[in-house]
Order: sequence, then structure tokens, then C-alpha cells
Amino acid sequence: MTSLYTPDSPPLASPPPRGRFIATVAASDAICHEHFRLTLRLPSFPPTFPGQFIQVACQSLDLDYTPEHQFDWTTAAPTSLGGRELISPLALLRRPLSLAGRRDLPDSSVELDIIHRVVGVGTAWLSRLARDDRVHILGPLGNHFQLPPPETPAILVAGGVGIAPMLYLASTLPGRAIFFAGAITRDLLPLNNIAELAQYNIPSVLSTDDGSYAFHGPVTQALEQYLTRYLTPAVIYTCGPEPMMKRVAQIALDRNLPCQISVERSMACGMGTCQSCVIRVRKPDPAKPPLAGKDWSYKLACADGPVFSAADLLW
Amino acid sequence: MPDLSTTLAGLKLANPTLTASGTCGYAFEYADFMDLSKLGAFVTKSITREERPGNQPARIVEVRAGMLNAIGLANVGLDRFLVEKVPDLAKMPCPVIVNVAGHSFDDYIETCGAMNGLECVAAVELNVSCPNVEDGLTFGTQPGLLKELTRQVKNVLPRKKLIVKLSPNVQDITLTARAAVEGGADILSLVNTFTAMAVDIWKKKPRLANVTGGLSGPAIKPIALHLVSRVYRSVAKPAGVPIIGMGGIQYWQDAVEFILAGATAVGIGTALFVDPNTPLAICEGLVQYMQKMKVERVGDLIGALQLPGDQPPPATSHP
Repeated sequence: MTSLYTPDSPPLASPPPRGRFIATVAASDAICHEHFRLTLRLPSFPPTFPGQFIQVACQSLDLDYTPEHQFDWTTAAPTSLGGRELISPLALLRRPLSLAGRRDLPDSSVELDIIHRVVGVGTAWLSRLARDDRVHILGPLGNHFQLPPPETPAILVAGGVGIAPMLYLASTLPGRAIFFAGAITRDLLPLNNIAELAQYNIPSVLSTDDGSYAFHGPVTQALEQYLTRYLTPAVIYTCGPEPMMKRVAQIALDRNLPCQISVERSMACGMGTCQSCVIRVRKPDPAKPPLAGKDWSYKLACADGPVFSAADLLW
Repeated sequence: MPDLSTTLAGLKLANPTLTASGTCGYAFEYADFMDLSKLGAFVTKSITREERPGNQPARIVEVRAGMLNAIGLANVGLDRFLVEKVPDLAKMPCPVIVNVAGHSFDDYIETCGAMNGLECVAAVELNVSCPNVEDGLTFGTQPGLLKELTRQVKNVLPRKKLIVKLSPNVQDITLTARAAVEGGADILSLVNTFTAMAVDIWKKKPRLANVTGGLSGPAIKPIALHLVSRVYRSVAKPAGVPIIGMGGIQYWQDAVEFILAGATAVGIGTALFVDPNTPLAICEGLVQYMQKMKVERVGDLIGALQLPGDQPPPATSHP
């Protein structure tokens, strides 16, 4: 029996600060059809960077489960349905939601923005939150966008609800970016939030697939036309539906521009342990582990991502 | 103050909560989200002899009150585990149990054998819900195979306690439980996940790339609880083998149900994704329950469930 355990193995690098927090709702506003911006307030929160996300519990974790109340029945008093799973489906797992903004307030408290679209049980619960409700979160999680070199502009390309991390990124690039935002139709574009980019001196180009507003066509077409006319060194950043991001990656590759992608995968833990959220990436050195001998390996969208260089992805 | 400490076949735990393999990594991954020093014990992700990349995505699907997983035992393999993970395990502030999976007798024997010499490992948990590549039969579903595997593994683990984690995907779990005990298991843990499916009706395809996955979470709790009770009464209690009970435990009330059914300790898995603080919250609730019920030691609750036909309990344990 051989042992490869050597006492001098270097310790694994510890991840940046993060934790388990209970936030309160500062605001929850519909920003366009089916889309909400939820602002969470916390007394403090670790440093965050655009591209990172939080794992949001879309159920109240403060309620105690009281099975003994489920079967109380008297003709005088109706049954108290304490077992909530009996009433309606609950969103069991947390939902990973990219940070759409962060503000540090004068009293040291922190506000975090998330933008979500109501697509199911969890997001429906979020949309019903009221001011001062409690929301349990884990974070900040994931890696983050790498900002462009000082003289190089950024081109941000947002599709649908992928606009969330793009808005946060834009807020850190005043005067250095142009913002492309697309949606299927006008009602799915959060126009006011995009208009707010003016405060950062960031121009925006809007597009709708059906032509109901601004540029008629997919946002990738607007991007392509712009780059054809004004090709310049730039770093492209994108988040949105995967077919859109693949198209953006190709456009960037064709013009030899670096491109950073924020991917989305189904997650359970959201912090690198359950191995659910894998994505294939190219391996620079096939000989090395993991998967020695293969030219690809699996990375975790939650811990190695969600931001990846487009050139590395094998999607 | 009620005493939560408990003993699993000689293994002393500060409290009866354990994490479930596969839900919390190899060591300190959860340190930012829960106080690891407050765990009864930590159970690592399954390790196999060779590194495994795991299944193609999609690997998980949430279902009503639960989730399916088909991770495919993705892990760094024994060699990298020894070099990369063991140094961290040595620093864990609670007892560490390493979960081992394999696809042949040799796999299990070599991996378990390597655990025998590690000071930081308190026990080995055998994940037998894997197919034997030689004949395709899952170790944990064939009593004869399971007994022989347990026996051979116990042989290479003279210094460590051996836990056998039972698969519930069997006709009669008392047969495999008995086989594990006869093979020399010191402790039984049950249950592992239930084979299940989910379908995308628009694509007309399974939602998991692997087609099937293991169901876990609140949905399985009633079934797991029953199986713990059955195994306790027909195998574990007569043999004096303690049980780690698990399956959908999320609140302290669930933990009490499992302990009353016969579990000495409880495993918490899927609930960690919902709230990493679950094991601590369970301990807090347990203490309050014991105070209310005037129970001094959590051991007094093990198997205290009264079924029709049971002898009434002695007067001293009445609340």
C-alpha cells in the first residue's frame, strides 16, 4: 500500500470573504413586463464586484415547521394549515441571481440590487415581497468581470434578464463603455434602468426583435453593425440567453476582440461543493489534471465562473 | 442542560448531527456559511480510486419538495485526495468521516486501505450504490455481494469504524442491512437517494442527461423514516448496531422523528443547500424539545417510538 500524502502540501487558497446573511427588502419594483428590481438592505456586506451573484432563498426560512398543527380540527375552529408544503409548492433550492448594483450608504449599511424575471415558483415569491420583509442570502459568490485596460473601451451586450450584471458592470465603467440592450419586444426592456446609464456617461443602443422599439432586430445584429462601422480595440462583455452569447462570442472572435461571458447553470449549493453546475472548458495543458490526457475539463459555473473568457468555453 | 453528546459504535460525537456525503465538499468549503465546530461529524464527498469527471450536464433538477441529482461521483480520486484534501481534513474542528465509492472489489479495498493509516479520519462510510463493473450489479442491492464486500473492506480497516450506507432501491432493505451487519459493519447509515426521473414535456426528453437521478429532500422523508424504523427493529437493534438516519431532514422535528424511529444520529444533506445553518438549528430545537420533555440525554430518545403491540415503556421515561 503506497501513500502519496506528503505533510508539506501547500494549503488551498482561501476564497474571498463571503457568508450567510439575512437582508431586508428596501424596495421591490416592477421595471417592465414580468421583470422586477429587488433592493436588499444589510447592515454590512463583504466587498462585491460586477459578475458576482448571491444565492437567494425564495421562501421564508424564518417560519418554523409545526406538523402538530396540521391535523387540529374542531367544528369550532378551522384547521391551521401549518404544513406549508400542503398548501402550495415551495421553491426548495436557492436561486442564483447576479448582482445588478451595490451601494454603500453613509451609515455603513449596504444596498444590493437584483433583477429577476418571474418565471416560476421562486421568482413569483420574490415578486410578492414587501418593504422590510426578510430575505436569506449567501454571498457574494463567484468570480467577476475583469475590467478593460485603462485606455480600452468596454462594449456591454445585454439580452433579456441578463441585463442585471451588465448594469452593475456599467456603473463601474463611467465614461468608458457603450451599452447594447436587447429584448424580444418593447415591454420586456427596462427602459428607465437603461436611461439611468446616462449618469455614468454611457451611451446605449436599444433593440427589439420585433421592432416595437428602437433598432429592429436581435441585439447581436446591432452590435455587428456597430463594430463593422467603428471597429476599435475593445473588450466585449455579455450576459443573456445562451444562443445570443454564443453569437456575441463569435462576433468577438471574428474581430479578434477579447470577450467575457457570464454563464448561467442550474445550481444547488452555489459555492463549489455539489458539482452540479459544470461547464466544459478548454485545458491549456492536456497533460495536467484534472482529467489528465484530455484537452477539456469541467469547471463550476458558481466557483470558477460565472464569468469565463469566451475563447475558453466549449459550449 | 440536556446532553446532546452521543456515541456511534465507540465514536464520540458532540451532538447527533452529521452532514450527508456529496452535499458539502471535502472539508472547509462550508466554513463561511456554517460553524463547522458545531457539527457532530463531517462526511466527505465520495472518493473513488481514480479521478472521475462526473456525468454530462444537466446533473440536477429541482422537483416538488426535492431534487434529483446525477452528479456521477465527480471527485478528484484517491491520489489527489491524499495530497490536496487530507491536509485540510486534518485541521477540521469536528470528527471526519470519509465516504468511499468504487466499481470493483479492488477499487474499494485499495481506497479504504489508504484510509486506515490516516489519523484525521474517524470512520469510513461505504457508498455501495454503485454498479460492480464486473457484472453490472449494484453492490448495495445484492445481499451476498454486499456481505462479501463489507467483509473484505473491514479486513483492511482494522483501525477505523466502518459505516455501510444502504441503498433504498431494493425490495427489502432488511436483507441488505442484515448482510452489511453480518459482513462486519460497525454502523449503518440509511438512506441514500431514490432512483427517480423528470421529463421535459416540450422536448419530450428526460431533464437529466443521465436520464435517471437520485431523489432527495423533504419529499423522501416519510419513506426514509419508515425504512429507518424497519431496519432498526428487525436488524440494528437486535444486533446492537447504531444507525445514522437520513432522508429529507430539514427541521429539528424531523430529526426527533428519526431518532425516535431508531437513529442514533441524523444526516443532513439537501437541507444544507436550503440553509447551511440547518445542523445548528436542529441542535437548538433538540435541546428545547428535550427540556420540554424532561429528557436528559439524547440517547434516551433512540428507538423510543411506541408501536401497537410494544411493551409500554418503563415509568422513568414518561415525560
